Amino acid sequence: MNVYQPFRVRVEEKIDETADTRTLKLKFLDPDVANTFDFKAGQFGEYSVFGAGECTFCIASSPTRKGYIECSFKTVGKVTSAMKDLEVGDVMGFRGPYGNAFPMEKMHGGNVVFIAGGIGLAPVRCVIWNVLDERAKYKDVTIVYGARTVADLVYKRELEDWGKRPDVKLWTTVDPGGETPDWKGQVGFVPAIVEKAAPKAENSWAVVCGPPVMIKYTIPVLKKMGFTEDRILTTLENRMKCGIGKCGRCNIGPVYVCKDGPVFTAQEMAKLPNEF
Amino acid sequence: MSTTTFIRTEDLKGLVADLRAAGVGVAGPARTSDGAVDYRSINAFDDVVLDAQPRNSLKQFFLPPTEPLFKYQRKGSDVAILEISATFPPRVIVGARPCDAAAVDVLDHVMNWDYKDEPWFGRREATTIVSFACPGGDRSCFCTAVGLGPDATRGSDLLLVPAGDGYYVEVVTEKGKRLVDAYPKRFGAGAGVDATLSYREKARASVEGHVPARPDVIRQWVQEHFEDPFWADISLRCHGCGGCAAACPTCHCFDIVDEPETLDAGTRRRNWDTCQTSVFTAHASGHNPRADQCGRCRQRVNHKFAIYPARFNDILCTGCGRCARTCPAGQDVTEILTRIVAMATGQGGAA
Repeated sequence: MNVYQPFRVRVEEKIDETADTRTLKLKFLDPDVANTFDFKAGQFGEYSVFGAGECTFCIASSPTRKGYIECSFKTVGKVTSAMKDLEVGDVMGFRGPYGNAFPMEKMHGGNVVFIAGGIGLAPVRCVIWNVLDERAKYKDVTIVYGARTVADLVYKRELEDWGKRPDVKLWTTVDPGGETPDWKGQVGFVPAIVEKAAPKAENSWAVVCGPPVMIKYTIPVLKKMGFTEDRILTTLENRMKCGIGKCGRCNIGPVYVCKDGPVFTAQEMAKLPNEF
Repeated sequence: MSTTTFIRTEDLKGLVADLRAAGVGVAGPARTSDGAVDYRSINAFDDVVLDAQPRNSLKQFFLPPTEPLFKYQRKGSDVAILEISATFPPRVIVGARPCDAAAVDVLDHVMNWDYKDEPWFGRREATTIVSFACPGGDRSCFCTAVGLGPDATRGSDLLLVPAGDGYYVEVVTEKGKRLVDAYPKRFGAGAGVDATLSYREKARASVEGHVPARPDVIRQWVQEHFEDPFWADISLRCHGCGGCAAACPTCHCFDIVDEPETLDAGTRRRNWDTCQTSVFTAHASGHNPRADQCGRCRQRVNHKFAIYPARFNDILCTGCGRCARTCPAGQDVTEILTRIVAMATGQGGAA
């Protein structure tokens, strides 16, 4: 067995999030692996369909939920198309967990603000459930989530749950023109809604993930509110093959996204060259 | 380890014959059917060509251009993973160039970075590298500028230097000693180190001065000039073919792909890849963080002379010059590095 050989996982459940985005719930076939597999919020893996190849995604489920992992993906290329063709019961591959993680222990006792756009909610959702499953360890929880249109919102059933919880302040938004007549959330771009939500910066952490343009305009808003760069966290993705620092693909300047990331602070991001 | 011994040319021939008789694979620089010299399997020492740098490097003996990682077999909804045999037959490489032997040692860092690449180290352990001190290089050689030299021992298990009626032998590693100990009759007394000095001097003189020996200066300039017109300038010459990376003894970037052989069975393979193509970094979404050749040329220089040094305190280049010799457009690494040193030390860098 070499380091590139995946664990076998079985599709337990498939959930269509949007017209082109799906979540797969995966269980390890080997009972030893199933019992011992562990990961930290923010880590990623290499998912594969045998015959189609491998693809890199975060683990979208929370490490507090044992015995399975979930991934959410948009059907864009060869592997994601093959993943979309899988039926419940089919076997695929998973290697991981790889990379660093969100500093959950450091965040204990603090307020957490989650800001996500589009499919960027997948890695953030992992942290959200980690926080909510250990709710007592954190103070205020605010979630700001936006998508282009109502149809593009992912994890809709969970957004409903979070919206009902008294211990979560949820703001959902869609881009202007993306709303439906019965849309009850906000209309506007994510940075503007963050400003409106106005989470307090004191003793707070921000977890931000979404399209580069969203991140670009959200970080200044957070800084204006008083968030310091070392407490603004994001997770990057770059094309990868090995996931373990060897294949040479994911460099952003001197940084290996697979080994130094995928989680970076805004402070670290500011030092990176424009290559992501 | 730093013992020395001697082997006569006749005994060297005998040693290769002994190894072949014992079922050990032997490879060395030898003529191909089209008259070029490549590192390839040989049957006798007489096949070895020592006066020309092989076109390829030793890389393929440890990281083959394509290699199976495992096989898969689908049965209904289930899939079986069939492991590839992890045993590697013993091999001795006779006539390695010191730049190529060093490259293998340089790559050990990344191949063992937190995760051990078993196929790489399996072949490393099974292979003994017998290098021959280089007789001297051409205009593209610059091993002395990256801390090596025509008689550098790095990565070699034995280093042979011509002397008298044979070769002065430096026993560099335990593995090298095991080879000497296994064939005691082939090694013995002979010319000493003094008899090798003029050979070494002449070889060194032939490669010195092609690039300023300032890897620290190069590293710092590259680290501080991610955005610089220099990268666009050098990239104008690049076709993005990746020939440099294929020829390079230290370029190790790879792809992982599935190759179906039937509808239900196939092989996941690792294949050589190159950072010089646009698809290397292209996301499925269409976004490409390294969207133009400027960024790709920078990446190759950056990885070798800044990223790898920062990460492993080692240079991802052994000065073999193959990239310059291979490039169909005349991209010359010695020119790139010389210009960087000139810019860094304030002596101008204009083409």
